[in-house]
Amino acid sequence: MKKQFTFLLATLVTSSAFAAKMPMPSDMPKSYDAECASCHMAYPPGLLSEQSWQNVMGSLGKHFGTDASIDEKDKIEITNWLKKNATTRQKYSELAPGNRITKTSWFIRKHDEIKPDIWKRQGVKSPANCGACHTSAAEGIFSEKNILIPGK
Amino acid sequence: MKVLLFILSLGIFGLAHATTPQELLKTYEAQSGKASSSKGEQFFNTKHGKEWSCASCHENPPNHDTKHIVTGKVIKPLAPSANPARFTDEAKVDKWFKRNCNDVLGRECTAQEKADVIAWLISVK
Repeated sequence: MKKQFTFLLATLVTSSAFAAKMPMPSDMPKSYDAECASCHMAYPPGLLSEQSWQNVMGSLGKHFGTDASIDEKDKIEITNWLKKNATTRQKYSELAPGNRITKTSWFIRKHDEIKPDIWKRQGVKSPANCGACHTSAAEGIFSEKNILIPGK
Repeated sequence: MKVLLFILSLGIFGLAHATTPQELLKTYEAQSGKASSSKGEQFFNTKHGKEWSCASCHENPPNHDTKHIVTGKVIKPLAPSANPARFTDEAKVDKWFKRNCNDVLGRECTAQEKADVIAWLISVK
């Protein structure tokens, strides 16, 4: 029983440690930061599948309620880089509903204890605002140890 | 061939064309009429039939770091007095007017609207 428990614990710890790290590939083009990260955090490409990124980049004129159109050269550069670095892991590979990372089943499962009013707090604003609670999100660290939920 | 090179070089320089807020103001005025900074301020703070105004994200006065109304991402000050890098790259200005006018008005802004807003932003301390 104890052995089983230790095994279970080890599995849990390892899998959450995996999930906790999502570093930015070192070859991130400047255009990704300039074009995408001016309105929201620079999401690590590994959070979505190749097809989902293709869908996001193919609809920038209508990007979650805003016009995020960019010039063709940047679009090609960013699209190629996102697809090259898209997830290869089964867990993240589903086609994201509405192209939203926050609507994937793994995201919803991971955040199922967060009550609706927390998402609406001024300091959070949106589930897309990873850095509001994940204090090291910008460095690609989403570990449970690095979470601080704003009080309001 | 020479013509092609010429066009190509125009394109390259055009992309990263350095400018100033004052130069842009003159350009927009030349395409419309004399700018009114009070109209610019009003335009900036008013909704235009859609959900957001310019001030929804940039606040009034836009002379400090603000937050994107949806994502919470920090936006650097828009007024040149607080952020000298603003309105110094024509391609960047064009891109953001296109995007943000579409979000706020559902269409492109006119040269007059751009002139008014820039005139006001230049005056923001």
